[in-house]
Amino acid sequence: MTAVAGLKEIFTRNLRTSGIYIAFVAIIGLFTILTDGMLLSPGNLTNIVLQYSYILILAIGMVIVIIAGHIDLSVGSVVALTGAVSAVVVIKNGAPWWLGVLVALAVGLAVGAWQGFWVAYVGIPAFIVTLAGMLLFRGMTLQVLENISLSPFPGEYQKIAGGFLNGILGGNGFDVFTLVIFALALVGYGVSQFRSRQARIKYQQTVEAFPLFVLKLVLISAVVMAFGYQLSRSRGLPIVLIILGVLIMAYTIVTTKTVFGRHVYAIGGNLHAAQLSGVKVRKINFWIFVNMGFLAAVAGVVYSSRSNGAQPGAGNMFELDAIAACFIGGASTTGGVGRVTGAMVGGLIMGVMSNGMQLMGIDQSVQQMVKGLVLLLAVAFDIYNKRRAGAAR
Amino acid sequence: MTGAPVHDGEQVRPMGATAPRVPLLAMKQITKRFNAVEALVGVDFEVYAHEVVALVGDNGAGKSTLAQIVSGVLTPDSGIIELAGEPATIPNPSAAHAAGIATVFQDLALCDNLDVTANLFLGREATAGGSFLRDGEMEQTTKRILRDLNSPIPSVKTQLHALSGGQRQSVAIARTLIGNPRIVVLDEPTAALSVAQTAEVLTLIERLRELGLGVILISHNMVDVRAVSDRIEVLRHGRNNGSFDATTASYESILAAITGATSYIKGDRAY
Repeated sequence: MTAVAGLKEIFTRNLRTSGIYIAFVAIIGLFTILTDGMLLSPGNLTNIVLQYSYILILAIGMVIVIIAGHIDLSVGSVVALTGAVSAVVVIKNGAPWWLGVLVALAVGLAVGAWQGFWVAYVGIPAFIVTLAGMLLFRGMTLQVLENISLSPFPGEYQKIAGGFLNGILGGNGFDVFTLVIFALALVGYGVSQFRSRQARIKYQQTVEAFPLFVLKLVLISAVVMAFGYQLSRSRGLPIVLIILGVLIMAYTIVTTKTVFGRHVYAIGGNLHAAQLSGVKVRKINFWIFVNMGFLAAVAGVVYSSRSNGAQPGAGNMFELDAIAACFIGGASTTGGVGRVTGAMVGGLIMGVMSNGMQLMGIDQSVQQMVKGLVLLLAVAFDIYNKRRAGAAR
Repeated sequence: MTGAPVHDGEQVRPMGATAPRVPLLAMKQITKRFNAVEALVGVDFEVYAHEVVALVGDNGAGKSTLAQIVSGVLTPDSGIIELAGEPATIPNPSAAHAAGIATVFQDLALCDNLDVTANLFLGREATAGGSFLRDGEMEQTTKRILRDLNSPIPSVKTQLHALSGGQRQSVAIARTLIGNPRIVVLDEPTAALSVAQTAEVLTLIERLRELGLGVILISHNMVDVRAVSDRIEVLRHGRNNGSFDATTASYESILAAITGATSYIKGDRAY
């Protein structure tokens, strides 16, 4: 396979998954022009990372829920509840910051186990269970906070979402440490890609042509290093980006390389077949929701840290942003299809659009309308693709 | 009972006791009721190695119920199941699989969103450390099995929604060979297939027999049944209604047993 034919192959074979990346690049290009390059300025890129990290964390869990054919409407309330519990522990009772984090994560796991129990073992549709959860956990948030906001968090807690790792290795006008971390991450990525390519060759699986493989790595490296350089010129490496990066890597492996991930796809693709094949459907469904609860708690901690306090109305509508990120990122409404990386790009598309329109000073009402239309178009594209695939059979 | 196996003169894989030949699966006096409906009444059924047994009958005759009992989806109300001569129970599908019984359900039970390899290994993935998939190894096994079956699948990386009906059927049949089964149950494998695809599937069934398996074939299609099976068992109203040697029995006599024009007396051959 020549490089050109290979490129063409990649684009045509996976229009659904590559389409999203093309759209992402186009949207970035569009808003870069519309904002005179402000979008990609160091300060603004840092802002985007800080501002949308918790939505992306939620989207990681949500895409797994959606792949399995469920939905979770409660994550916004869970974000509020876990943030509130953490605030009560840290602010009201003066406990150390890490205890607040641990208690919040425990609450998230408990919430996930509760919803997982009803979905997996009682068999109530996730839509209903999590709709109930949305009300239930919002109410509990109000109870925990006694209807008032709590703030401020101690400095260490604020650093979770607002802190930066910088200045450790110095640098003139840019932070060397940030660049080193980015470079290390890329080397790790390159090595793992090369090793999996070698493994595929060993098992006589098809691989892309070597020049194409190198080209892909170089392109990815260039984009990622440019992003890292911009961050390093601002405030350095955001701590929340490290959290997000680790979560994305871990869950990409979970969804693509583990039995659990395979079974999640199977349940979403054909529930009956999964059951007959001996997939432990109930157990998998249960853990999907426990995991969602855990990630909602992580997002809750990050959000409470960023807003430096807990409010009764925190996390309102977050579930819809997370769900939209998944669908824009190529997840199928009927389940069985979706990727963690896709959901991340979907979330970033939403983020870049909001951010770009804010920079342009576009009214909030128009922003909402544009985001609504983008979601609609993304799902329409998914359905169009499916019809085409169905007709081709 | 049906007496001595019809398909003699072939080498049987040793299965515990050797002589006389022990059936891979023997079901005796199986009864199953759904509330007031008697789905099966005192049905006897046997499968030997290297044998394709067709289970035929009209709609509602109890074919699928019997197949579901074999594959562990249903449990009988009464009756005895013996596997290789040993009394056994098949309480659920995974028990059936553990006992070496693999089933291809009528709706195939495949995941359209997964590729051929993932479907073959679904529910019994090869893993490293208990949770990490060994994709390369699974793909190689898949290729070997498809080659053994002369199966017409272009690539093991193809997702199932891109395959034709016959190809999907051959994936479903290939799936049964994961984990070295002894008995394969096929529920209406040629329904809704074109002529060419049907021929492909019938070839696969013959390959299963050559591989030494006992095959239970449920079908409406007399032409297919007579083309591949060694023995034909007729069910009518949930009861045994005849056992035929597929090579000698006439189409009319089988049809008569199915429709009830001739009735079967236990202990006798109906032909």
